[in-house]
Amino acid sequence: MKQVVVHPERCVGCMQCMLACATAHSRSLMLFAAVQETPQPKARIHVGAGCFNEGFPNRCRHCDPAPCQMACLAGAIYRSDSTGTVMINPDRCINCASCAMACPYGVIRFHEDPLGPAGHAIAVKCDNCSARVAKGQIPACVEICKAGALTYEEMDTAMRRKNRAVARSMSTDADPPVMPAGVALLKSIKQSELQLSGS
Amino acid sequence: MFDPGKSLSITQDGDRLIAKARQDGIETVWERHEAQQPQCGFCDMGLSCRICIMGPCRVDPFGEGPQTGVCGADADIIVARNLCRMIAAGAAAHSDHGRDLVEVLAGVADGTAVGYKIRDEAKLKRLAEEYGVATGDKNPLAISGELAQAMMEDYGMRRKAVKMVARAPKKRQEVWEKFTLTPRGIDRETSEMMHRTHMGVDNNWQSLLLQGLRNALSDGWGGSMIATEVSDILFGVPTPRPTMVNAGVLKEDQVNIVVHGHNPVVSEMVSKVCQSPDLIDLAKEKGAAGINLVGVCCTGNELLMRRGISMAGNHLMSELILSTGAVEMMIVDYQCIMPSLGKVAGSYHTRMVSTSDKAKFPHMEHHEFHPDNAEKKAVEVVRSAIENYVNRGKVFIPVAPQEAVGGFSVEAIVGALGGTPEPLIDAIKAGKIRGVVGIVGCNNPKIKHDYGHVTLTRRLIENDILVVDTGCVSVATAKAGFKVPAAADMAGPGLKEICNALGIPPVLHMGSCVDNVRILVLVAALANALGVDISDLPVAGSAPEWYSEKAVAIGTYFVASGVTTHLGPMPPITGSMNVVNLLTAGLEDVVGATFAVEPDPEKAAVFLRRHIEDKRKALGLDVRSV
Amino acid sequence: MKHVIIGNGIAGVTASEAIRMLNGTADITMIGDEIFPPYSRPMISHVLDGSQPHDKLPIRSEHFYDDLKITPLLGQRARGIDVDNRQVELADGTRVDFDRLLIAAGADPRPTQAEGLDLKNIFYLRTQDHVKQQTTALAGARRAVVLGGGLVGFKAAYGLLKRGLSVTMLITSGYPLSMQVDATAGRMILNELVCHGLKVEVGVSVRAFEGNGTVRVAVTDTGTRLPCEIVIIGKGVLPARDFIPKDKIDADLGVLVDDHLQTSVPGIYAAGDVAESVDIARDCRWVNALWPEAAGQGRVAGLNMAGRPVAYPGSLSRNVMRVFGLDVLTVGNADPIEDAGYRVVRSSGADRHFYRRLVLKEDRLVGAVMINGIEQGGVLRALIENRTPIRLPPETLIAPGFNFGQLLY
Repeated sequence: MKQVVVHPERCVGCMQCMLACATAHSRSLMLFAAVQETPQPKARIHVGAGCFNEGFPNRCRHCDPAPCQMACLAGAIYRSDSTGTVMINPDRCINCASCAMACPYGVIRFHEDPLGPAGHAIAVKCDNCSARVAKGQIPACVEICKAGALTYEEMDTAMRRKNRAVARSMSTDADPPVMPAGVALLKSIKQSELQLSGS
Repeated sequence: MFDPGKSLSITQDGDRLIAKARQDGIETVWERHEAQQPQCGFCDMGLSCRICIMGPCRVDPFGEGPQTGVCGADADIIVARNLCRMIAAGAAAHSDHGRDLVEVLAGVADGTAVGYKIRDEAKLKRLAEEYGVATGDKNPLAISGELAQAMMEDYGMRRKAVKMVARAPKKRQEVWEKFTLTPRGIDRETSEMMHRTHMGVDNNWQSLLLQGLRNALSDGWGGSMIATEVSDILFGVPTPRPTMVNAGVLKEDQVNIVVHGHNPVVSEMVSKVCQSPDLIDLAKEKGAAGINLVGVCCTGNELLMRRGISMAGNHLMSELILSTGAVEMMIVDYQCIMPSLGKVAGSYHTRMVSTSDKAKFPHMEHHEFHPDNAEKKAVEVVRSAIENYVNRGKVFIPVAPQEAVGGFSVEAIVGALGGTPEPLIDAIKAGKIRGVVGIVGCNNPKIKHDYGHVTLTRRLIENDILVVDTGCVSVATAKAGFKVPAAADMAGPGLKEICNALGIPPVLHMGSCVDNVRILVLVAALANALGVDISDLPVAGSAPEWYSEKAVAIGTYFVASGVTTHLGPMPPITGSMNVVNLLTAGLEDVVGATFAVEPDPEKAAVFLRRHIEDKRKALGLDVRSV
Repeated sequence: MKHVIIGNGIAGVTASEAIRMLNGTADITMIGDEIFPPYSRPMISHVLDGSQPHDKLPIRSEHFYDDLKITPLLGQRARGIDVDNRQVELADGTRVDFDRLLIAAGADPRPTQAEGLDLKNIFYLRTQDHVKQQTTALAGARRAVVLGGGLVGFKAAYGLLKRGLSVTMLITSGYPLSMQVDATAGRMILNELVCHGLKVEVGVSVRAFEGNGTVRVAVTDTGTRLPCEIVIIGKGVLPARDFIPKDKIDADLGVLVDDHLQTSVPGIYAAGDVAESVDIARDCRWVNALWPEAAGQGRVAGLNMAGRPVAYPGSLSRNVMRVFGLDVLTVGNADPIEDAGYRVVRSSGADRHFYRRLVLKEDRLVGAVMINGIEQGGVLRALIENRTPIRLPPETLIAPGFNFGQLLY
């Protein structure tokens, strides 16, 4: 089964996945209309700043077993049998934030959501774009990512690719894994800048 | 990653006022910078393009996603276009500032610029002669009218070259001719730059960048140079004079008025009316001991250079100065004025006044200054600043002011040398002074406030390199105490000896950021005196904390003029290693100078010292190993 | 294999599910005094405050016992355990054989001493039945007295305030939740409650309740008379371990368990509010009578009982609650005794609606308090629970932009 695979080393921090995610979870499904909606749709993927201010795309890992599901007071968090996606039933959620305590990745947010009950906040997180996938589309964050930081593929395929890259880098006659020169240059400059921004 | 425990400024007033602002719940540039993290990597690398709406487009730096925009432009073209548009914007800003001064000059001639006058007739005549305006025994007003007309033509398309290109050494002019870099008209080059970067025009990244150099030269030897020279005619050529710097220049018992921005046209008039006995009496009536006019940023530098008016701080201090609660009014014109200032002022009694028809800001009162009403307007706003004194709440002035000397125009430096550049050239030849570095540019929250400026300056003077500075740097080094004659003790033995002999500090304040052209004039004079090109001199430029498009234009005209220039922060070009390589290496074969990027000022100091020793070696002078 | 589980709270429920997951045929018997379908005990405070209906309490199907082929023995408590004969004795004298036993009997409200406790409308807040009676008693009630400022007392007071009652809370410390938060956070919570009408009496207790069949007045030991139509006693809970033969099964405040949740008797396990395990943050034995802990312990105990050895890393106190405009999250040892090798890092600033406090011991995080912006609380909880050495400056963990990505280097 395909799933969203995150490659943080590829994230350039443009945050386009956040816009695409919020749009995909709006009523209008169009960016320009979505920003006018009340309540405002919000991203369920969160690009934070890493130690060197590099982008870090943070989204639900759909853990198994899922600590949020075990901690949910209202029994609102469940796993979809067909896709393995950890889902939140917006009508059962009581917005108690017990899942915030449980989630070791900090990916759950609490707000009124266009797709939830009107007038009160609920817990909201990545649903693997189940509505889009049902229509034959791929998750919105993957579709918009132009840097390859988010891919939609079989986990095995992604692992195999990564294993091969590591194996190549460890064989004696191989070149080390190549990071494009411009990317490496900017990265080293940014790290240096960060050290100079205060101490 | 944000560490709230860390210090953000090397300055004591900066650190204390950051703490004060936080305590007062004021959001400053550092919080906003933090909130922007991570910043977009496509934009940071120059790989995003918003030039047309077949896009917006971005190119995947990892090579798997799209490699061209919708139009087909690849990373090289997109990066070059984006950089060139930065140069165009920077050149436009300086040159438009110059245009405003030419208009005042024309207004003085026809009597419409009430309250302005010609302060330096000798300079007026020198300029007129350069521009081919007959002087003879003509009335200065008539000369200024004709000079203004001639300068206006520099902005147009009737010339083959802007006039002051002739100030450059012959060899330099030949280089420009050879690579078609000679700027033809100030506005023309910016217009052409914008034209070329339109979709479907110039799609050769090398020729785009060469036009970028020509555009920058139209600023350096055109618009900015006009701005400086006309300012000198209207307000006087700067001469060394003592002043005070840092937030401690605000006075607890006086009406504090801060001028912020760049053009002296408004600040000079404000400074003039602040002397008015009527207004001083009014201030006393309101319980103040007087009126204390101070500067922030480059319009402050303009006043400091010519009048010795105190300087409260540079770019990153502009919000913090308000958090003292001691500012009755801040009067702004344009450039580098953070749109947040009105909101910051809202937390205190400070009134914010914008003055330019070109620059309006949220939460500011707009009092539009024009050459014909400036004097009247200045009286009005200063009066309301005085009336605001009674609304003052608790005041926090964090430090005592630091002494400094400013006002080192080229004329003043030559004057200090005894009327000729020879003593400086002799000192360089003798190796007492290894060379000269112009440290210029802004502040940027990406670098700890003033750390780059002060560290680099210290390392260079320690190693007998004379530092000249402008803009935000000049404030940083003044606050650090490098701008008093006694600072010669911090210099290496050779530089110390020369400074002591001449009674000058080892770091010379040459003015505002348009005044970077004074550095061009200085290096041109040195090159001419030695009979070499600028690129042969043991000199360099540096912008350790730059942030603005204007800084891109300045750096580019330095390099195009033959001055190798170091940049602290990385410009948005790493998306194209072709562009990176051209700017940091390839340009050597074109203009005899390159850019170098190094955020760490300690490493930058080593680079600049090596560069200077290399140039000395080529000139057959003695060489130190670095 | 005969599995017997004493208690049908969440620990019992997750234990039975774990056993059934690993073994489709083993006998499972559950003993419990509540006959209501498995429900969410913490949600009863949401029913009290009116935000959730009573019928949303069940978190398992009403066919739970049938679906899992469990033999339910409901409506009565265990009276004793015959360790030697491996039998549980029920209140009605029935004896139930077991091969593996789980003690998940939970906890009972800590009783209080006062005259007139038999008056109507004086309640504990522990079961769905309690809250059902309370919501009925709310009709016509305007004034309430709450005894205790711990978790239960706080939730009772908050619920009644949200219902619009005038509430007086009697507490011993200067601020509520003194076992969960530090003084700064405690005062922020107190202010928020007081802003919404709570009255607080510090350091007083109730001597007597008066009324004509139904409570009308609470009389304090200082003689103050507090008129009230409803009283909730919220002075915490005590492990329900009266029926445990302490000569056979080691017990202290709770039933002692090892790192597989087994008691001192092989084959007898304990989980949930009755169990005393090692507290990860405090590094000593502790009863963390908390629902998410109980859910986790039940699952681990069940897996072990069904023959899959699973280690239990220890328990951790944790609470998250919404107090009108404040979201409060607290985890671990948030307010240790000073000078015991702990280091405290706090957020500063004038913003009264944002507060962070971290407690570190050597290079480990052992406690945290967050007020508002609690989304990253789980990341801190995981750092404490996994005993992760903290390599970042602790200040970065309390910065608003802190996120999981910063831990990857």
